[in-house]
Amino acid sequence: MAKIGVILCNCFGEIGDTVNLETIRERLASDPAVDVVTLRESLCQPGDAAAVHALIRERGIGKVLLGACSPYGRMEVVRLALAKEGVDVRTVRAADLREGCAWVHGKDPEGATRKAASQLGMEIALLQNMEDSRDIDIRIRREALVVGAGPAGLSAACGLARMGFPVHLVDRGTAPGGLLNIVTKSYPTDDPGPAKLNPLIEEMTRNPLIRFFGKTKVASVKGYAGDFKVALKGPEGSTTLRVGAVVLATGARLLFPQGLYGYGKTKNVITQMEMERQFAAGSVACKSAVFIQCAGARNAERPYCSTICCPLSLKNAMRIVEEVPGAEAWVLHRDIMTPGSVLEAYYRKALQRGVRFIRFDADRPPQVRGDGQVSGVEVFDVLSGVTRSIKTDLLVLSTPLVADPESAALTRMLEIPVDRHGFIAEVYPIHPVETRNDGVFICGTARWPVSSDQALAQGEAAAVKAASFLGRGTASALSMSRVPGPKLGHAQANADTCTGCGNCVAVCPYGACKLQRMGQRSVSRVIKVRCKACGSCAAVCPNGAMQIPEQNYRVTGAMIRRAFREVR
Amino acid sequence: MSSSAAGTNILVFACRWCGLIGADAAGRRRTELPVSFRVIPVECAGYVEPDAVIRAFASGAAGVAVLGCHVGGCRFNDANHPALKRLELLRTLLDATGIGGDRLLLGFGTAHEYHQWADTIRAFHKHVAGLPSMASWLPAAAMTGER
Amino acid sequence: MQNMKNQKKTVLIVGGGVAGVSAALDLAANGHRAHLVERGHDLGGQVAKLDKFYPTDHCAFCPLWTEIRRCKQDEAIAIHPLSRVETLEPQAAGHRAVVVESAPVVDPSLCIHCGRCEAACPKGVAKPIWEHAYPPVYVIDRGRCGDCRACAEVCPTKAIAFDREERRIALDVDEVIWAAGFEEVSLAPMKEYGWGTHPDILTSLEFEAWKAEAGDNRGKILRRSDRTVPLSILFVQCAGARDLRFLPHCSAVCCMHALKQAQWVKRRNPEIDCVILYTDLRTVGRDYYEYALRDFNGNGVRLVRGRSSLITPLPGGNGIAVKYEDTITGRREIRPFDMVVLNGNLQSSLASKPAPEVRPELSGEGFVTAASVSCGFVLEPADVTESAIQASSAALKAITDRN
Repeated sequence: MAKIGVILCNCFGEIGDTVNLETIRERLASDPAVDVVTLRESLCQPGDAAAVHALIRERGIGKVLLGACSPYGRMEVVRLALAKEGVDVRTVRAADLREGCAWVHGKDPEGATRKAASQLGMEIALLQNMEDSRDIDIRIRREALVVGAGPAGLSAACGLARMGFPVHLVDRGTAPGGLLNIVTKSYPTDDPGPAKLNPLIEEMTRNPLIRFFGKTKVASVKGYAGDFKVALKGPEGSTTLRVGAVVLATGARLLFPQGLYGYGKTKNVITQMEMERQFAAGSVACKSAVFIQCAGARNAERPYCSTICCPLSLKNAMRIVEEVPGAEAWVLHRDIMTPGSVLEAYYRKALQRGVRFIRFDADRPPQVRGDGQVSGVEVFDVLSGVTRSIKTDLLVLSTPLVADPESAALTRMLEIPVDRHGFIAEVYPIHPVETRNDGVFICGTARWPVSSDQALAQGEAAAVKAASFLGRGTASALSMSRVPGPKLGHAQANADTCTGCGNCVAVCPYGACKLQRMGQRSVSRVIKVRCKACGSCAAVCPNGAMQIPEQNYRVTGAMIRRAFREVR
Repeated sequence: MSSSAAGTNILVFACRWCGLIGADAAGRRRTELPVSFRVIPVECAGYVEPDAVIRAFASGAAGVAVLGCHVGGCRFNDANHPALKRLELLRTLLDATGIGGDRLLLGFGTAHEYHQWADTIRAFHKHVAGLPSMASWLPAAAMTGER
Repeated sequence: MQNMKNQKKTVLIVGGGVAGVSAALDLAANGHRAHLVERGHDLGGQVAKLDKFYPTDHCAFCPLWTEIRRCKQDEAIAIHPLSRVETLEPQAAGHRAVVVESAPVVDPSLCIHCGRCEAACPKGVAKPIWEHAYPPVYVIDRGRCGDCRACAEVCPTKAIAFDREERRIALDVDEVIWAAGFEEVSLAPMKEYGWGTHPDILTSLEFEAWKAEAGDNRGKILRRSDRTVPLSILFVQCAGARDLRFLPHCSAVCCMHALKQAQWVKRRNPEIDCVILYTDLRTVGRDYYEYALRDFNGNGVRLVRGRSSLITPLPGGNGIAVKYEDTITGRREIRPFDMVVLNGNLQSSLASKPAPEVRPELSGEGFVTAASVSCGFVLEPADVTESAIQASSAALKAITDRN
């Protein structure tokens, strides 16, 4: 049993003026669990860490307890300094005697002293009972799988390859490009659509690190960060790969709203996709084109804004006005979504070019007139309070992107959640291309409707994030914590006492607990790299078989029993 | 110590994110708080099981608080949500046994600023201080901490 | 684009907010070095000072705090607080930058946040750094200081020194990433908004600080004039923005920001009438539209489509008169509101006047052009999610040579 040494910090009186450190030192000196007790003026000033390290070495202290300040202030400075000295900071605990004690109980020094003694005692109980999670090193395979070769996927693949990582780029279509393939002119620069992607496609073709699989789908993915076993199914049969990271760039589909505004029934009621095809074929002919925004979006069924439909209509409306002689273009909208500098300037450009705008309300949508073929649209203009009748021979519905149903299967295989619209959820707004599963990244419209420029940027972001993981070579499971510093530990199931009830499997937010057959029984096994030590599994285990060694039930029990000893 | 002091022993399980940030901020502002509570920091409120809460009561706590992040704000992907549910269930058990579900405070995302932490601690302390002693529930040994 | 994996880059990142911090971490995680130049006392930028951020409505502390801690612990990231770029000269390969680092009066590596300096200061210029900075230290405003040195006498760790010289550091860097973020533009020239004429006409960032949970009012919603609870608050969108006379761009974040603030007010004080006066309600982003629709217990924020033509204190000063056209009903209204919060007056920090000593090529509207690598608001008005994406994208560009 390692020697426990307690070092109490006076903090220049900030602790010692309220908490009677002498009383505490005496008490601890007679505590059989404590081998060494000393007092110091400070722990965080220059030279302190070296002095503490010297003390640890001289007195042969195995576990250190500091009576110090809040973990959110100077303590982290102290820990870093000690780590730099070579101290194993996983054996260093600290009780908050300042922000948590002296500074909030200044009017009751006796009470503060009792509390300080209790908090220190609880930490000693922890140090006596804590065990060590066995760490494992995983080898991270230095290659990536990118699923989907639209703008996001191409961008991610090229980014990774540029950084020196082999990439397997898979697409269910024959060629890369995704939805951008059908766009002849992209906004806001008016470049030809595929021109955006041609440099990337060329790069993909020329860089030997990128292997492109056309007309291929992912049949299965197993494993975890650093080692995913992938089975692909393509025109030439199956291929198996082992990769370190997976980037999902599976895109989205455009909504074809049967029945909405006469779509599918009335002639010349089309979606933006058909509009793009007509432009590509040079066959746009109309006298007056009307675009209806939010067609099937921002409603009860799809309560989201699909980002691209407003700029898309501005682009196509301007094309009509500029390329079709004598034609006019109307955009019927509920809000014009052109945030930022570039898009707002694009909106102004459309206004200057003579595109006309009418605002309508969601509860009074436009009415389509026409028998078999669209002839006009009636809309209540909320800004003027007048119902307008617009003659039109081409009605274009701006419909939203919707989640691709095929990506759902992939997310289930990778055990990452989708939101209620079917788009893949990121782990947190400040980590928008990362998922709750380490090593799995998302970008592009599979994540959320975005423009091709945004998809390109997200692909690059996913590449950088994936590269930082792949470049590690090996990683210890304890290091994969997602917070500064290592994990507390990882959960562990006692195979002898585990009953295989599966509570832990159900509750684990990371899919780290799995049931494994062991002879006649099933027992729980924790995938160490996935576990983040939240403790949920231990909390729901009916017989205590599942524990986190560093804070196992003996630790908690001992801390609880110790908590009020000074108050009896 | 007199049993009246022991009568307001409060054990706080606080996650080291939203659960304790408010404590740190309150400390920096020297907000005066009752000395009745002790803190056990945990990675996540999801770690706290009903057994630990009951053990706390059995070891001399008159009130137990579990403080975590807002539901939806847990960095362990909503691990606090099942915790909240199972602890609410425990509360009904505490009521049914007569210990009183009001001895259990669940604060998820409600104590992450200094005054929220202070108000939470003070209000709970006041509430628990007004409750009858737990002595009838426990053998004498528990009160002297000799287990 | 060649395989760059063996060439370690050193990158200068101008700005230590969300964008700069994210870019620095991505560079370091890929084996490169970053110099993070930040003009404030600490990292975190505008988002660190917000009371809450959308769409989670939690404080920005947790997620941003973790990233800032990572930055500070990473040996590959050199952080230069209270610094600015004085010169930036292109070299044969890369740039040579001269960074001027001012030394804070209180040395953050020694400060133990005991507050004795604050107690000793007769002028109240020693104050804690903003609420969620990590680790928290004290800062002394040199400009308002009376030079009595009482603080230095009482500081137990000798952290206070008034004679620290600024340092000039010459850095040879391979690439520069501009991540200087946004700042408010004073609305004083636009008289119709009435900013500066009454304490209860405030910008949204002023309102954010005023109503902050950790602020002086502990989260209570009060009028600035007399600290009573307002009966009504009007949030005016596009104040100064989407306006060819002032800021032609759309600041992108203000609609969601107003919704966040207005909805929060309703949750705390359902009786306060909250109105958002908007032109287009721009809720583009993950779950933002549903966020806008939220209605707490039937106490919804009222959305009025319109623009104000005049905001002015009522005679007697008890309240604000707002003249606006409700463009849906077509009626011109003059209505009193207890408080008016102005949203929209944000611009790239690089476009400020006077111009910073060094800045890249900017577009007509003040945003960084494609001639340089940039991310966050200086590239395009952007929220946290967009900024984080662009930051990673910028890191990739810096790593793999955009040439």
